[in-house]
Amino acid sequence: MKEKEGFVDCPEQQMILYVEKEDGQFGPMQTGSFITKNYIDDYFDKRKNLVSSLREKINQQEISPVEFFMILEDLTPKELSARVRLPLRKVKKHLLPVHFEKLSDDLLQRYASVFNITTVQLVGAIPGQDPLIAEPAKP
Amino acid sequence: MTTIPYNHKMGAHCESGTVTSLLNHAGLAISEPMVFGIASGIFFGYFHKHKSFTFPTFIVRNRPGDIRKNIKKRLGVKFQTYSFRNEEDGMNKLDDLLRQGIPVACQVDFFYMDYVPSWERAHVNVHFMVVIGKEGSDYLVSDSYFPRPERLNEQSLRRGRFAGGNMSPEGFLFYPTFVPADIDLRKPILKGIDKACFNMLKLPVPFIGINGIRLFAKRVVEWPKFARDTEHLSHEVMKINILLEDQGTGGAGFRFMYATFLQQASEILANSELKNLSSELMTIGDGWREISLFAARIGKNRDLGADKMKELSNLIAERAELEEDFFKKLKKSIK
Repeated sequence: MKEKEGFVDCPEQQMILYVEKEDGQFGPMQTGSFITKNYIDDYFDKRKNLVSSLREKINQQEISPVEFFMILEDLTPKELSARVRLPLRKVKKHLLPVHFEKLSDDLLQRYASVFNITTVQLVGAIPGQDPLIAEPAKP
Repeated sequence: MTTIPYNHKMGAHCESGTVTSLLNHAGLAISEPMVFGIASGIFFGYFHKHKSFTFPTFIVRNRPGDIRKNIKKRLGVKFQTYSFRNEEDGMNKLDDLLRQGIPVACQVDFFYMDYVPSWERAHVNVHFMVVIGKEGSDYLVSDSYFPRPERLNEQSLRRGRFAGGNMSPEGFLFYPTFVPADIDLRKPILKGIDKACFNMLKLPVPFIGINGIRLFAKRVVEWPKFARDTEHLSHEVMKINILLEDQGTGGAGFRFMYATFLQQASEILANSELKNLSSELMTIGDGWREISLFAARIGKNRDLGADKMKELSNLIAERAELEEDFFKKLKKSIK
């Protein structure tokens, strides 16, 4: 890739790209992210739609807030169980609303820590300040 | 506590960038592509199903940790490493090292790094960065993905260092304690290239190396059946672009950085064939970049029918053919 083809004006996400310089030498250039520059709106649209559809499932008592955040944060049940340090079978139970309602404060806190949210956000399935949902200034 | 004087530099990749900047700090003038190449960083692996991944995915670099380990083995650098069962011990040790003026590399889950923009965050337990100081309860971090050193609060660093799950960091810390005075790079370069060729051509595993690229090409057409809906499929297809370009690869899934390594290696070894091959890999990388752009475009347009997925498959299969030929020639060029 030639250096002049590598430049992307995206100060919000800078990165190093290796390119061919004018003198034929290969080396690093600091540039911006192509996909963030061009497709960030699409990412946030999909994110909002996903949150809406998962909220609907919570309202219909199909999933618990644990599953809500597990999907948002792209974790598998196996991975979540290792992170929250609970057996997989227990985590699978907590994906169901009926079992989620019986969770102790300690377990709620453990899930909230993994999801990097407060227990209030967890119980209410409120992404709130969840950085994955909070929309930043558009590049 | 004070900040350790440290020359923060951006790098293409977190592990090679971290190892390079620590070696530079210790007085060894070496480039990131040279570290990456000597450590046999270039790779390919495709995971159609994996207990820790929610969707099929691929990797374009060797196993996390291997860059440091291979640099240790091939350059004779010594690293002090620590892992911890107890969080308090891990945080106290980091503070002790900072008080001694030692910049320390940490392995963390990228998701908890508060300075990372929301859309870039993902639970990845193998992110590396250097902690260079502490002010109050905030740590100062030299993360090679960012133009400037960043601040990170104690709770976020703790969560990142002690996240559980696949490849859990377990508070892992490292820093160099010995760097040989005169390093002859010729043998390490040859060893690095030889191992990279072995990984890409000879590893007897169907999802690794050239076999892995072929498997990716074959199985990507099955991705729609794993998706919740069209938007989910669009998201996953667009992640091909992120994995190849944005997730710390230097472009084209590390192919551009490895081409830079080969160009530098050709001068050190006075091997003109390596220079030709570096140009060839740059061109192969351009093809990977076309795949990135194609994936982003069809994902954005929700143009994800069987014909487009087949087109994507063909583009990937073409890379497999070219890379097989390339790595065979590379192997021959160092004999």
